[in-house]
Amino acid sequence: MPYSVLILDDDADFNSLLTDIFEQADYSVTSMADPVEAVEVFRNSKFDLVVTDHRMPEMTGAEFMREVMLIHAEVPVIMVSGYLENETIRELISEGVGGVFLKPLNIFSLLERTKELIDDAKKHEKAPQDDEESSSGSQMDTKLGFTFRSFPCKTGASTAFAERLHFLRNFRSTLTLIGEKGMHYRAICEDIRGFYGSDAEKFIYLSPDSFDRAQTVSAIEEAKLAGAERVTFVLLDVDSMNDEQKKLAVTLPKADGEFSDPELGLRAIYCVRGDLDSLFDEGLIDENLYILMGTAEVSVPPLRECNVDVGVMAQQLVVEIARSKGMAAVPRFEKAARDLLLKQQWEGNYDELRGVIEKMMASDPGDVLSLNIVKAALELNEAATPRAKFESYLSSQQVDFIRAAAILFGGDLAKAAKFYASDADQLSEKMK
Amino acid sequence: MQEHRALILRSNRFLGSALVERGLVSVDDLESANGKFMEAIQSSELKRASILNTLLFDLKALEEQTLLENLVDEEGYGLIDLNYIELGSLRPFKADLSLCWASSTIPFDRIEDTFFVASCYLLSAPVVKHWEELLDGRVVWYATSTNSLNRGLERIEEIHEAEDAAAAEEQE
Repeated sequence: MPYSVLILDDDADFNSLLTDIFEQADYSVTSMADPVEAVEVFRNSKFDLVVTDHRMPEMTGAEFMREVMLIHAEVPVIMVSGYLENETIRELISEGVGGVFLKPLNIFSLLERTKELIDDAKKHEKAPQDDEESSSGSQMDTKLGFTFRSFPCKTGASTAFAERLHFLRNFRSTLTLIGEKGMHYRAICEDIRGFYGSDAEKFIYLSPDSFDRAQTVSAIEEAKLAGAERVTFVLLDVDSMNDEQKKLAVTLPKADGEFSDPELGLRAIYCVRGDLDSLFDEGLIDENLYILMGTAEVSVPPLRECNVDVGVMAQQLVVEIARSKGMAAVPRFEKAARDLLLKQQWEGNYDELRGVIEKMMASDPGDVLSLNIVKAALELNEAATPRAKFESYLSSQQVDFIRAAAILFGGDLAKAAKFYASDADQLSEKMK
Repeated sequence: MQEHRALILRSNRFLGSALVERGLVSVDDLESANGKFMEAIQSSELKRASILNTLLFDLKALEEQTLLENLVDEEGYGLIDLNYIELGSLRPFKADLSLCWASSTIPFDRIEDTFFVASCYLLSAPVVKHWEELLDGRVVWYATSTNSLNRGLERIEEIHEAEDAAAAEEQE
């Protein structure tokens, strides 16, 4: 597998040149123009080396180097610049830069130094790590004080969300995540699991199609055998569960009856779509769940409230997909293309964003994700034809009307069905 | 009280969240209180179903003095002791006693379209909303202690009983 290099330069021409040099030398290249986004991509992906420009508008190369060294101190950094004062070069060396190259570039020296640095880093990687604990601690987000990956936390809404989750991390038995459709609950819950940094914490994900008593008991047994001291069940789409599953969802964190085990702690994270009052009014959660879920509830911010995060999340998805497809170079967004992504409402939130990025990456987009590529993917995402758009609009309105009737009749779907001269089962299916 | 079951559930859930948000009780204590609250709800002892009473008197997880200070200092409410107020019948307020018990709230005076209301559940938005819609006028809210409110409701009960007795006598 080729070594992976992150290139950061806001000068598009020089960025392209560096990308070509490293690609032709068989490195897998991710090229970025924005240092803030580059830090996030670096945080969430594995790189063997970083090459950065020094003079950039939002952050200097030295500042960028400090950020990446806080995240992964073992990854070497090479600085490339048109001009640097001797004093700056001395400072960079004392701070641990792996090499400084001034333009015009000596390509052979650059590639030679790259190889030396990566080889050195790999040797250290193989050596026993005495300071593993301090090394993992250094991966923390410097602003938050803890690691959080599901949102880049570049906006007030996502930062407040991450901080609230961290504050509630020691919840005793239940936590409720309330969000709109398309939320990436699994990634969020992986962040919660990461707060503990212990192998004795086991998270088990269950959804309406996999949640029953037998499955739960067997998952608990497996977790115990694996040495878990506490199991947290992440129950996805609780509002779509059947009555039996909802009863089980209430019983589980109480650790009563067959779930009682003095040596094993049990907790539940409920993930629901829509606010608790509406779900209660619509009869989608009962009294028990309504009160239980209200103990520690956290609203997941929709993507439209975190538009700055969207740019970073989009680039992270591009890196992830490019790697899974084994692409030699990771494409980067043209500024206008990225700005267009930030302007979208993302009603389907993370799932929709992922869908759009997958569409962009479906055919080989080349090194740059242009405005046209993004526009085409967004159009495909909206709906293929005006008829499909109209159907989608009517369908969403239909669900709103059913919900309104359900509230009007106190959650009694039979009455709502009578009102619409329809069948209760059909209404129930629509609401799911 | 059964007709106010939904209000009781909602008002207590909101109160619990508000107390945790203000750092007045811990999530752990709220979980314990919620458990006792649901026991009371399920056994249909709705008069006993109060997260506030559980936190104050069963779990001793909250000092009432602290809560009242928060309501006055942080939320800007006035404080009132209903023991020193001459209470009358609730009937002119279109309110019944069970609603007062369910929401720990008493409307105690009225001047034209302005109502003066005392409550232990001021941090619970559904209680405030419910009463403001019912009274349909300007409402001046006061915080009061649970003791003052409970004693007030007992006095109003006596007033209603006396009114009923007088009405029965008149009919005879």
